[in-house]
Amino acid sequence: MFKLNRYDKWMVAFILVSSLVLYGTMEFFVRATTSDKTVAVVSYQTQEVLRIDMKVNANYVVQGTLGEVTIEVLDEKIRVEKETSPYHLCSIQGWVQYANVPIVCLPNHIVILIENAKVSPNGEDAVIQ
Amino acid sequence: MKKLSPTRRLTLVTMLLAMSILLHMLEPSLPIAIPGVKLGLANILGLVALYLFGAKQMLMLNFMRVLIASLLRGILFGTGFWLSLTGVALSSLISIVLVKRNKLSPIGVSVGSSAFHGLGQILALMLINQTAMMIYWLPLLWFSAVPTGLVTGALTVEVLKRLRK
Repeated sequence: MFKLNRYDKWMVAFILVSSLVLYGTMEFFVRATTSDKTVAVVSYQTQEVLRIDMKVNANYVVQGTLGEVTIEVLDEKIRVEKETSPYHLCSIQGWVQYANVPIVCLPNHIVILIENAKVSPNGEDAVIQ
Repeated sequence: MKKLSPTRRLTLVTMLLAMSILLHMLEPSLPIAIPGVKLGLANILGLVALYLFGAKQMLMLNFMRVLIASLLRGILFGTGFWLSLTGVALSSLISIVLVKRNKLSPIGVSVGSSAFHGLGQILALMLINQTAMMIYWLPLLWFSAVPTGLVTGALTVEVLKRLRK
């Protein structure tokens, strides 16, 4: 069924190799850039609606386009626990613990992104919820 | 394929457009192993139009498909519309370039097309959400473009075989 010529095989190899290289690079980048103190920024239609301290285990509810989106933080990891959407893709995504890995709930226009907390020069946290 | 009269040609293009709209609208409900990944069945009809009628007809078919399907689903100018539009724009352009170079079979073209569809969607997400980190999802979309592109490419070959008889 899949009769590939030489150039087809090169195309398949190029896409597979480039996706693996890109994945490795992204994983290295997100792990290397995640600090000890992080906050999760929740945005609705590109407007920031909530800032969550990742050290505090708790549940949060934000209003999305289709209904409420329940966000859970546990052991410095975050996930969408419950949401109203056709395919529940962002709750299926599960836990995220590294900075810059986005959780995207497209039908609800909600994006969650972990960021490193800014620390002031005297060592105090500048951003807590 | 025999030379078609303008009327038969128009009829065939219209039927391809109707089928592509139908597949575009039905596909999200088909279960697939990886959440968020789609086969891209509607792309088969775009590739068929490209091989049978050329780049202009393919672009017309693909853009009309996105426009009409979005209108019917009530998401015109919403996030999903822009994702589809940028995905289709990039995948159509790369398909045209690859077919013009005449080195790849429809299966190879389909794999390239699927990969660039994902790239287009990521670029749209980056612009809409104003964060470059949406690129984190690109490796997943590129990797899944291989099996999905192989399947849609093989189906394109079969459809072309039957239409060219």
